[in-house]
Amino acid sequence: MPPVSVKPPPKNTVLVSHGRPPWYDERGNHTMNAFVVGIAGGSGSGKTHVARQIVRSLGSIPSVVILSQDSFYKKHTEQELVDAFANNYDFDHPSSIDMDSFAECLKDLKECRQASVPIYDFTTHQRLEERKYLYGAAIILTEGIMALQDAKLRALYDLKVFVHCDSDLMLARRIKRDVAERGRSVDGILEQYLRFVKPSYDNYVLPSQAHADLIVPGSNNQVAIELICTHIRRKLDERSNHFRAKMATPHLYTTPSGTAIPESTLDELDLTIMPQTRQIQGIFTILRSKTSSKQDFIFFVDRLSTLLVEHASQFLPYASRSVITPTEAAFDGKTMSAKHICGVSILRSGGALERGFRRVFNNVPMGSLLVQSHGEDGEPLMLHSMLPVCVRQRHLAKDTFVFLLDAQIVTGAAAFMAVRILLDHGVKQENIIFVTFLVAKGGGVPILRRAFPHMKIVTGDVDPALRDDSQGSDGKQVWAMLPGLGQIGDRYYL
Amino acid sequence: MAPVPPPQPATNQSTSQMDPLPQSVFTLPQTAQLEALYTIIRSKETRRGDFLFYSDRIIRLLVEEGLNHLPVVKKVVETPTGATYEGVGFEGRICGVSILRAGEAMEAGLREVCRSVRIGKILIQRDEETALPKLFYSKFPQDIASRYVLLLDPMLGTFIPVGIDAFLMHPSATGGSAMKAVEVLMENGVPEERIIFINLISAPEGLRNFCGKYPQVKVITGWIDEGLNEKAYIIPGLGDFGERRYCE
Repeated sequence: MPPVSVKPPPKNTVLVSHGRPPWYDERGNHTMNAFVVGIAGGSGSGKTHVARQIVRSLGSIPSVVILSQDSFYKKHTEQELVDAFANNYDFDHPSSIDMDSFAECLKDLKECRQASVPIYDFTTHQRLEERKYLYGAAIILTEGIMALQDAKLRALYDLKVFVHCDSDLMLARRIKRDVAERGRSVDGILEQYLRFVKPSYDNYVLPSQAHADLIVPGSNNQVAIELICTHIRRKLDERSNHFRAKMATPHLYTTPSGTAIPESTLDELDLTIMPQTRQIQGIFTILRSKTSSKQDFIFFVDRLSTLLVEHASQFLPYASRSVITPTEAAFDGKTMSAKHICGVSILRSGGALERGFRRVFNNVPMGSLLVQSHGEDGEPLMLHSMLPVCVRQRHLAKDTFVFLLDAQIVTGAAAFMAVRILLDHGVKQENIIFVTFLVAKGGGVPILRRAFPHMKIVTGDVDPALRDDSQGSDGKQVWAMLPGLGQIGDRYYL
Repeated sequence: MAPVPPPQPATNQSTSQMDPLPQSVFTLPQTAQLEALYTIIRSKETRRGDFLFYSDRIIRLLVEEGLNHLPVVKKVVETPTGATYEGVGFEGRICGVSILRAGEAMEAGLREVCRSVRIGKILIQRDEETALPKLFYSKFPQDIASRYVLLLDPMLGTFIPVGIDAFLMHPSATGGSAMKAVEVLMENGVPEERIIFINLISAPEGLRNFCGKYPQVKVITGWIDEGLNEKAYIIPGLGDFGERRYCE
């Protein structure tokens, strides 16, 4: 299937329609891999159509990735390139696909890690140097003529679909498409069809049908698609995990063995609390007062966040460094030795720490995560992630120190999700430095700490308790910190 | 919550160059991250952009430390959740006074911590006839006598007696100008104990002179260096602060 002149529309897409619910339990472990559907079928059978119909029919669903086999055409040698441009290269043979790389990317995505998917350029018939970053799918649809060919791939599918279509219809669609979209002659299309496409279909594609769980007709397939969607929805429901209420008030819940989770002592929480100087006490008094002006609130938030980030910088690594001063004297000092540093703020209220962060680190990338609670149970949903390159790329992430910024840890649900996202990317737990104004001791921080014992948590102060403030908030479950300082995001931004 | 007392001299950690430190001297916690900041601004390879950014970071920390010496009073507030919180309120009005020219470089950092704070200025030069520090210019807020004063000069050296040319070139690297500035402030009615002198680097000789003469003035210093060389530069120091900040 070597298209020639026109670049086809992108086949790899991430569609976010609803945000992604937790994919881990309260110990921080993965409980939920992405649900993977493999869709195979002959060229022109309507695989892409089936994949898009599934997405449409799922409607209000978490993020979906459609991964196309086309991305995984191998990097070609000089001779292969000559053949490709002369229409002598067999793009329909299984060996033209980099199955190892395909399976590796799919495995990463399935197990909730980031993947960097190769990009294949059809105009130059070559794999590009750059790669596309994908992360955070709850459902992955894989489509391609060889999607069910390789055992490594098949092992990763939760559902294997074969789109079966009449040969005449497939050829007719192919001629129509290649003439219209790719400017090919009918003679050329037919020659290629008889030389490569047809033998490949008979020898490889059609036999792979035997591996399918479900055979979907290539036309008039609405019923089949509805069945697939019902199945996916049920499987997702079975896997979903709700524990925000438990995080907010851990001591009210019992473990499976029947013992209540004891309230943690401050020592067990292993928090790094700002030294309570006169200025810190005075700043907190201004921030906590409900009569403080907006101007004051913003000014003192910026001042406090600067001090917090300065204090948090003690958790970066430092190495010896000797310098010569302008007076030609030697000074044996230190230098910050982390390979990569970045900030990641949990929006919206984590943004209130960004100005302080910038006063301490002026030249480092700043990512963001939008996590919002939703629905009656207030479970967090990951709506948007924009992470720095040093986190996105796995080989850099292991050497990256991340300052994770959020205004306060109340139930800890958003913090929990943000930490999990960083760990998924390969950031080391001990290299995550969580910086926050205020932590509720009786809230979610004990569970956060138990799940992630090596993360650093730097806080301005610790409040004793949470209060259930659900009444009058549209049925949502809402907790407020006591004495607290109110909704920091509202007070800083609105 | 009980208001905490002001920082006690026991928090002093930088005693390697001077032991014991005078009771009125306070240093920043000598952490690895602070040492890394100093390493950057000391290096002669560091360019102006970095010099500005990292010296500002140190200045902010110094001003924060200086403010902890101001008094606070108990204050109860109501939080937006309706709870009461027993905190503290700031007491006492402040103003900054920078010793020209290098002291001006600390004003930006001061204003980031103390919004719209009033800032007075002092210019002190060597008197050509007597070779003693002489006040050439000063401009203070009218009510300075009722305020706490944060006196700003990046380097505290020592008083250099008559006849050394280096003094002409580097008046701010001597303790003489700082002592003259305190003298001027006191003439304007500021009590000695209400002056907080903030600098990035001190020479032990300068600290000894200054604290001997004005034991009530709190000195907040980021780092105490080895001493002075024959040209009256602080060693290892960082060169001429004002020159690096404004001219290089």
